[in-house]
Amino acid sequence: MSKLFTVNRREFLVAAAIPLYAAGPLQTFSRDEARLVEALCDQVIPADDLPGAKQAGVLYYIDRQLAGPLRRFQAAYHDGLSKLRDACQSRTGRDFVDLPFPDQTKFLQDVEAGRIEKLDSFWRLVIDHTMQGFYGSPAHGGNRDEVSWDMLGIRDVMEGHTH
Amino acid sequence: MKLPSVDIVVVGAGAAGGIVAEQLALGGLRVVLLERGRWQKFSETRHDELRSQRTTVLGNAFGPDDEHHVRLAQMPDGSFQKVLPSEGSYNNIAACVGGGTFSYGAMAWRYMERDFRMRSVYGAPEGSSLEDWPLTYQDLEPFYTKAEWEIGVSGRAGANPFESPRQKPYPMPPLPFNLEAGVLAAAAKRIGWHSFPIPMAINSVPYQGRPACIFCPHCVGFACEVNAKNSTAVTTIPRAIATKRCELRTGCVASRIVMDAGSKASGIEYFQDDKLYEQPCRAVVVSCSATESPRLLFNSATKLFPRGLGNNNDWVGRNLQGHAYSGASGIFEKDLFDGLGPAARVACCDFNHGLPNGLKGGAMIANEFICLPYLYSRTVPPQVPRWGIQHKRFVRENYTRTVGVKGPVQEMPVFESRVELAPDLKDHWGIPSLRISGHRHSHDIEVGKFIATKCEEWLKEAGAVSTWKSVAGRGLSGGQHQAGTCRMGSDPKISVVDRSCRIHDLDNVYVVDGSVHVNNGGFNPSLTIQAIAYWASAHMVKELRRGLTDIVIRVTI
Repeated sequence: MSKLFTVNRREFLVAAAIPLYAAGPLQTFSRDEARLVEALCDQVIPADDLPGAKQAGVLYYIDRQLAGPLRRFQAAYHDGLSKLRDACQSRTGRDFVDLPFPDQTKFLQDVEAGRIEKLDSFWRLVIDHTMQGFYGSPAHGGNRDEVSWDMLGIRDVMEGHTH
Repeated sequence: MKLPSVDIVVVGAGAAGGIVAEQLALGGLRVVLLERGRWQKFSETRHDELRSQRTTVLGNAFGPDDEHHVRLAQMPDGSFQKVLPSEGSYNNIAACVGGGTFSYGAMAWRYMERDFRMRSVYGAPEGSSLEDWPLTYQDLEPFYTKAEWEIGVSGRAGANPFESPRQKPYPMPPLPFNLEAGVLAAAAKRIGWHSFPIPMAINSVPYQGRPACIFCPHCVGFACEVNAKNSTAVTTIPRAIATKRCELRTGCVASRIVMDAGSKASGIEYFQDDKLYEQPCRAVVVSCSATESPRLLFNSATKLFPRGLGNNNDWVGRNLQGHAYSGASGIFEKDLFDGLGPAARVACCDFNHGLPNGLKGGAMIANEFICLPYLYSRTVPPQVPRWGIQHKRFVRENYTRTVGVKGPVQEMPVFESRVELAPDLKDHWGIPSLRISGHRHSHDIEVGKFIATKCEEWLKEAGAVSTWKSVAGRGLSGGQHQAGTCRMGSDPKISVVDRSCRIHDLDNVYVVDGSVHVNNGGFNPSLTIQAIAYWASAHMVKELRRGLTDIVIRVTI
């Protein structure tokens, strides 16, 4: 009895030590890049009373796909992230990830409007991949617990449980 | 390696090739059916929006793959860029057994009488190679009927008052309306339009030993989990194989039609597992799609046909066309989403011809297939931000209240819209790749605007509280509906194949697929491709069986 408890307790502790969003080791991004990508995804689909891209694990969707079917965009990410980091530093004097949420939004609106040179196409790519990771199938690393399908009220339909 | 000779090689096991192979085998001929893709099962792709034919964001689940294939595509600034099959500008069509029909939406339309006489009815607008077909609707009608019964189409005969005359009803009743189709049908009636259930190559009742549709939401772009969607992979191809006279070889990439010194083909060269084979035969049927069929003809050039087979007058690869899809979306006060696929259920043909202001052609308009969440997130109305909390709120509040209506606007063929061989670009096997260039005719955009306005009117009448239109741009459309590149005609100077689909200059090479369409109608093209496949097969069986008798007689003597 006590042995069984110990095993279960250890398993529990191991499980509890893994952060909620960790879907295994990163395959494409460095830790710094991952923090930045996660912040960008959070801007694309923020949490309100329901989870956003961060909680849905979209970072892990992008990280995994860039090592797979989307590998042709790897260079665009490494390059885009470093340019975005530099552009943010030179504009605001701070790291993008350290900016308050509304300031991040403002910065990205400038990017979108083409006011920050050569980053708008990279931002469009991040937007598209975030939508894929948030609204697509959980099988690819994003949309954890089918949060987006829950939000739309179509979990049963998407799982094929209507009949 | 040279293989033992057969009667016919059909290249491409898609909408048309799957039928030709079956019909020739039933006609007593020995057939080899080559397919570059493979047999696929539902379990490989399941219900995964990111791998569906509609998005292909994680690669082409139904082929061709990004690792072995490449094209050059013209960008809006006129330059050419390398593109992969899963990218939009590649203008891909699926490569697997069944071809596009394995994952299509399965609308099964007949073109109308006037679609075969476009030049006579309207005259060609400047800059368009619009022409009449060398056959009429009446010629093709028995073969439309045959396609509807052999492939299996559900619909209600007589429900569309604009349909050209038919000799037989559909073999199955229509699929029932979903919630939004009911609302749209009532609205159409109020404004005096004539709505009716869309004819679909989907079983509404068990048919030919396969079950009825289970109304799952993952239809267009997906394999069907119960085989209620009538692709050639579950209809004609198994029947062809059952004759024991047709051998299907998958994973076979045709590189060249082998010609004698004159105008006669003696076989096909193809790669399987990177090994080169030569399959000798008495006749070749090219059914590779309106982009890949021209490619095979180009790559089979000889001294006599230096620009490619059938191309001495420079018509192969020309007039590439699809449809200039245009329409509107509307948001309703109440949820109209019931999650019942295929969802596209109701159509009107009030705007296929007879448009005002000198507009030529037109489009059938219908409600959309279920728009899955990722695609929905990318198609929000123009005033909604593309990202951020407002975008999320829009999707959240409106996903189940949005209805889309649109139509495949008939394109005016443009001679300069084309595929040709790309200089210095080859695929995995070293076979020269295509480059694709050109644009839509400006007239298509005008018709698109008109059609979008009509779609918006329909949605408003149905109760939409806000609407937005989408009109096709000038960019070339040669994707799933690709057509026109080996035009059928009676004058060899301005066409590639004759009315039996045989290449004018050649004795025994046929092109049977959307390539031969003189224009693509204002409808999804698959049933017309298939009617022509039955039509051409009937000619071929007659022609080739005669050859067979000759041989038998010679041997006997």
